[in-house]
Order: sequence, then structure tokens, then C-alpha cells
Amino acid sequence: MSSEIKTMQGEVPKAPQFPTSASDIFRKRRTLKKELLKQTNLVQTRIAILGGSTTTEVTSMLEVFLLAQGIQPAFYVSGYNCYCEDILFENPDLWNFKPDIVFIHTTWHNVSQFPELLEAEAEVEHRVRREMARFESLWEKIHTGLGALIIQNNFDLPRLRPLGNLEASESFGRVNFLLRLNAEFGSYARNHSRFLINDILYLSAEVGLAAWFEHSYWYTFHMALGPTATVALARNVAAIVKSVYGKSKKCLVLDLDNTLWGGVIGDDGVQDLILGRDHPVGEAFVDFQRYVKGLQRRGIILAVCSKNDLENAKEGFSHPDNVLKLEDFSAFKANWESKPENIREITAELNIGLDSVVFVDDNPAERALVAEQLPEVAVPNVGSDVSLFEEILEHERYFEVDKVVPDDLSRSAYYSSNSQRSAYLSDFGNYGEFLASLEMTAEIAPFCPVYLERITQLINKTNQFNLTTRRYTSAEVAAIARDPAFITLYGRLADKFGDNGLVSVLVGRVFDKTVELDLWLMSCRVLKREMEFAMFDTLVEQCQERGIGRIVGVYVPSKKNGMVAAHYASLGFSRVELNSGDREVWQYDMPPTYSARTRYIFKIAQALPTAANA
Amino acid sequence: MTRYEFLLEMDDILGLPAGTLRGDEKLDELENWDSTSLITLVALADANNGTHLSPSQIVTCATVADLLQLAGAGR
Repeated sequence: MSSEIKTMQGEVPKAPQFPTSASDIFRKRRTLKKELLKQTNLVQTRIAILGGSTTTEVTSMLEVFLLAQGIQPAFYVSGYNCYCEDILFENPDLWNFKPDIVFIHTTWHNVSQFPELLEAEAEVEHRVRREMARFESLWEKIHTGLGALIIQNNFDLPRLRPLGNLEASESFGRVNFLLRLNAEFGSYARNHSRFLINDILYLSAEVGLAAWFEHSYWYTFHMALGPTATVALARNVAAIVKSVYGKSKKCLVLDLDNTLWGGVIGDDGVQDLILGRDHPVGEAFVDFQRYVKGLQRRGIILAVCSKNDLENAKEGFSHPDNVLKLEDFSAFKANWESKPENIREITAELNIGLDSVVFVDDNPAERALVAEQLPEVAVPNVGSDVSLFEEILEHERYFEVDKVVPDDLSRSAYYSSNSQRSAYLSDFGNYGEFLASLEMTAEIAPFCPVYLERITQLINKTNQFNLTTRRYTSAEVAAIARDPAFITLYGRLADKFGDNGLVSVLVGRVFDKTVELDLWLMSCRVLKREMEFAMFDTLVEQCQERGIGRIVGVYVPSKKNGMVAAHYASLGFSRVELNSGDREVWQYDMPPTYSARTRYIFKIAQALPTAANA
Repeated sequence: MTRYEFLLEMDDILGLPAGTLRGDEKLDELENWDSTSLITLVALADANNGTHLSPSQIVTCATVADLLQLAGAGR
């Protein structure tokens, strides 16, 4: 956690040292909150906590952990065990609160009826269905009545097992029953967007059941979680919320010597590196590499930052026991420059912010230097024991995601290609020649069902090239896609180095002969490729087809979108409203003959069905 | 734990400047005294010196002095 706080030092004059023990976090909560509230640019959110047990402490801890992520929550807290009543009877206080997120904090104590001893399998199944129907009615009411995202606890296990080990095998056993319910909850989450599981089955195992549920807290306060468990839960829920707001980390920057392998490649040579299953420490390095590879496979970008000669560093990867290969890294810095300088260059090369980076290095001096000079970078105190590295990274929940979509699986490939493009660019004197040589093709078309998840993800995570920074839920995106009162466009871009995936989204609302652009965004990985021109050309085509004569562009300045301040001016719009509050309005009247802006991107027709005609 | 150390810890829990509490305060008159403060006290006692304060014992305390006595904090 301490490193998460450090990530915000750029905005907090003096970031508090975040304690590591649960009791210290409890003790320092007031001081921490006061310090964390000094941050600027906090994201505001409204969270309703509906509890099946006492939630005062959960709320208090969640507030601290969210503030540590740069998120300032306002809370609605249900009365004790009123989670059902508040929803089913539409408690006006809850409805007026208009939560963005509803967190349902239930535990095994809230299962309405467990199976009877020796109950027939068919009846147990019936009970599972009844319990699911009870919860589903709550979730559906929240989605339809409040439109909020739901974070729902699955079930922990009771500390006591009247049937002993049979609890796990007999269908009427409580353990067996709870695991079946958890599978049903998981299935619901897979099939419904805006519904996320807070996995307390895992958390209770991580904390240990004895610390998870403490009888004295239950009987005195009806707290279903002890203090240590409360902290673990708050950290986990905060990580989920962080992922929803696109604040999870994107890139892992790794040292090499004694971080990815044992020994110093420059001194020991590849033959003497400690790496491989025939050595106890070598095996731990293999496992850490395997963990990192797993992150890379699901879209986390990897980079190397090592003090080494480049050739030596690369030679290390010729060791046969490496799980990670050179091509897994999207950026590779091995030189004698300072690590903060190299990390800056890595982020510039990959077009990502410093606040997207986690830096892992066994050397405490290097960690301290990066933490001091690049306060936005998360620098976990991983120590020097490789067997603990992955656990420390896990504990911090840096890379929490609310969904894995197919584009994530190949994101690292995009960034690797981006690095190749940058290297390739240096061969050209003229930027236009470079763009022409990329042989770019774009697929630009109205929203279609297959891309709605990715479109929603981009909408909610893009901050820099984003004219209005408007956020939409999945349901809103789906509704807009079907609504003829909107013009929607997505853009994919590919070039000779690879496919960049779906990188741009545009939404316009049609009023008679005018379209007003509610949203226009683009991933920074395709900056300066003229993709925005290709999008504009297609928008103009769509307007011409619908007889629309005027395009109104809106720019809402934010702390992060300064790069698009001149966007509409560069497309030939004129500004029509000056200093009207916090938004600028621009206007473009369709000329009698329109000349396409795109010079270097070849547009291809797309064959996929659109959301409107699917 | 000494009486002084205990009072400093209580100051910390309640978000008060160090040295604010003197020991004779009534708990329900302290602005920041709430259930979370109480739980913090139990958790800290467990973590720091292995003294087990049960939540049910603490709820019977009316003053800071009662807490001091319960925690066995010396003078």
C-alpha cells in the first residue's frame, strides 16, 4: 500500500506513510484520511454499502483505501442487515442518493436457509435456485431502478463444520452448498455486465478463517469480519473500484540481475546465472518469471530497465530456463543511465503515463531513487527475496481488471510493435514518408455488438485524447448503438507492424440537421498517425448521407486532455462559444465539396453487422 | 504499556494532537469516539502487547480512566 500512496506524491505535498498492519491502519485512519484529502483531482464516486452485518468499519476502511487510489467516495450505508429491504422497498434515501456503485456486503450468515441433514439432492438444488432467485431479484432491481454498478460479495465459509469433512462432499453440507452458490454467483457475473464479484472466499482463505471471523466481534457488534479481515476486504473492494475507474496499472518495468534471474549477467555470464528448477533459488526465479508472463498474457505491458551493457542484458535471455523471452518486452532499456531517466523514456516510447507503471527491482537504492524522482511510479518494497516478489505484487492489487477482453490479450504485441515503429521512424527524414511507409488501413464503422465491451472499456479509461471525458455504462453504450438519433463510429487501425486494435470512438447526437459530438476519443498508442482525420472523414460521409449540414464539437478541458485543446481548430472548426463555463463549443459547416483529410490511411469497408441491424 | 503511552495511542486513534487526553474525559463526550475507535483499541491491544481486551469489556467503560484500568496501563 505504501507504494500506492507514493504514486500520488506528485499531487500530495507530503504523502502519508501508509501503515502495513491492520491495527495501525485502523489507528491512523483519521490522520490518513486528512492527509489523503489534500490530493487534488480526486475522482468523485457515490457508493451505497448495503450490509448483511455491521458495516461501519468496512465503510471507514474503504474510504481510506479509496482515497489512497485517488478516489473520493460519498457513502450511503444501509441499516443493520437491511440490504434486502432497502432495495425491495426502494428506500427513498437510497434512491435519492443515486449511487454509482452498490456494494452488497453479505456473508454466509445471510444465507436464508441451509439444507436440512440428509436432504435429497433435488431439494438442495431447489434451495440453490430459491437463494439465487432472491439475490437476482435484488440485483435486477438495482440495475433497473438505480442503474448502478454492483459489487457483490460471494460467500465465505463458516469456521465451524458440524459435519466435519463431509461438509465438503455431501450436497446437504453447508460448505458444499456455499460453494454451489458461489459457482452460481460467478455464472451470473459472467453473463451480466456491471456486476462484479468481491471474492471473499479467497480473501477469507488469504487472511485465515480464525482472523476472518472472530466470535467476540460477532457477538458484541455483529461484525461478520474481524479487523484484519475488514482491512483485507476494504483493500480488495477499493481495487475493484480502482479498476472500474481505469486506475489500475498497465506496465511492469523490471530490473534483470537478481530480479528476473540470480546473479549478475555482466560478471557471471549466462552459464552461471541462477535460474532453473535444479536450484532452490533458481526455481523461485522461474516461478516469478512465470507469474510475470501470466500478467503479460493478459495485457500487462512488460519493459526492462537494467544497468547493464545492452548485449550482455540480451544474452541473459539465451539461458534455456527463462520463461520470459526477449519478444515479451515492449521496451528494453539496458544501459548505464539513471533508472528514473530510463523509465521516463520507456513511458514516452510506449505512450503511457508514469502513473501506469509499477517498477520492480531487488536493489533498495534503485527503488528509493525511482520513488523519489518519479513519485507517480508505484515502487513496491519487494525486498531481495524473489520468492516473495509475486506475493507482494499480488497483495498490492496493482493490476486488478474488471474484465478481460480479447484486445487485452494482444495489447503487449501492440506496444512492442509501437516500439518497432519508433525505431523505424528514425530511418526517415520526412514524417509523411514514414506514415506512408506504414501502409496503414483503418476499419471505421458504426458500433457493432462484437465491439461494445471494448468500446465501453475505452470510453471509461481514456483520459488524454478525449474531448469531453464523458463516461458511459455498457447499457448506455448498447442503447446509443441502437438509437438512430445518434451517429456512432469506432475505428480500428492496422499497419505493416501489426494490428493496433480498436483505438477510437466517436458519438454524436443528431438534432435535425446538426450533429453534436458528445464524445470523441482515441487511444494514445496511435497518436500522430492521422487516425483522427480518418475518423473525421467518415463522420463527414455519415453526415452527408443523413443530410446533416453542421457538426458541433464540444471540448471540456480536464487535467489530462490538454493535448486535444486545438483538435477542433486543426480540423477547421470555428469556435462559437467563448469561456462558457467549463466547456468550449466549436462548429463546422459542411462545405459544398469536402476534401478528405486522410492522406496516409487506407479505409476498408467493414463486414460486421452493426448494433442497429444485428 | 505506560499510562502516558496509552493516552498517546488514544490521541492517535481519535485523531487528536499528541498530549490532548489527560485521562479523566468521559468517552461519550469525546467527539471522535465511535465504534471504530473501540475496535481499533481492541485490535491494537491484541497486536501490541498481547493483552486481550474483549469488545464486550470495552463497551462497559464510561471514561478514559476506565479504559486505562482495563488495559492495565501503568502510571
